[in-house]
Amino acid sequence: MNKTFVTLALALGVGFIASAHARQTTAAPALNDAQIAHIAYTAGEIDIAAAKQALKKSRNKDVRAFAEEMARDHAAVNVQALALVKKLGVTPENNPTSESLSKGAADERKKLAALKGRAFDTAYVDNEVAYHQTVNSALSGTLIPSARNVELKSLLETGLKLFQSHQMHAEHLAQSLK
Amino acid sequence: MRRMMVPIIGGLLAVIGVSTPIAAATAKPQATVHAHRVHVIVIDKMQYGPMPAGLHAGDSIEWVNRDIFEHSVTARDGRFDIDLKPGASMRTTAVAGTTAFFCKFHPGMTGTLVVK
Repeated sequence: MNKTFVTLALALGVGFIASAHARQTTAAPALNDAQIAHIAYTAGEIDIAAAKQALKKSRNKDVRAFAEEMARDHAAVNVQALALVKKLGVTPENNPTSESLSKGAADERKKLAALKGRAFDTAYVDNEVAYHQTVNSALSGTLIPSARNVELKSLLETGLKLFQSHQMHAEHLAQSLK
Repeated sequence: MRRMMVPIIGGLLAVIGVSTPIAAATAKPQATVHAHRVHVIVIDKMQYGPMPAGLHAGDSIEWVNRDIFEHSVTARDGRFDIDLKPGASMRTTAVAGTTAFFCKFHPGMTGTLVVK
């Protein structure tokens, strides 16, 4: 797991622990729905940006197909997420987790930008495996349990199924690139 | 005597209707007549809905994508490959046999059609 994901895991882990602690003292969760929506949206945007980078740099047919899938699916979730927050009258709220996610992703894109050919393909797909593992853990362990709105929770659950499918696809692809 | 027996036996067999080629040919289509039906399979939340029981060759299968993602129904043997945008639906005709299929966009999504 690279630094980006350690940062994310720590950020979400702290949130989860804080949430558990909060339940003992007050009813308020550590992350509110506006923050959860922001984190989920940010996570999707990060993967779309990574996919766009892969589509610019990779010539591998399978890697490109995977990147197209990431861009298409994450965009679909984010369209739904934006429609939902608009419907609920919620403004997505920036928060330390979203910020650390964005910073980590920017660092990762910079690192990948220096690679070419097979080295890029392998690094991109390995990164996708790690990224989806971390986001899936965050979704199932923190974001979904903390979400209060039923529709947001449902969208996150659909997102989790999708990202699990992506993780599996990325793992197969990583194996085939070895 | 022999001349008389031939038409009598022939007549009896025709009445029974089991041993003459003509009788067999007319009985067979009646036994396999099946009104073609339309079966709906809904795709939602990253999975194919339940496969319909009693699928027969010639039936129509209507694939309905209610998910927010694009999916495909792609036969592993290459028999069919349909793409379904979110909200789209499409019909295929059932062909006898067992066909495994998957979504080429999400390979973890799989199913098997059993058609009699």
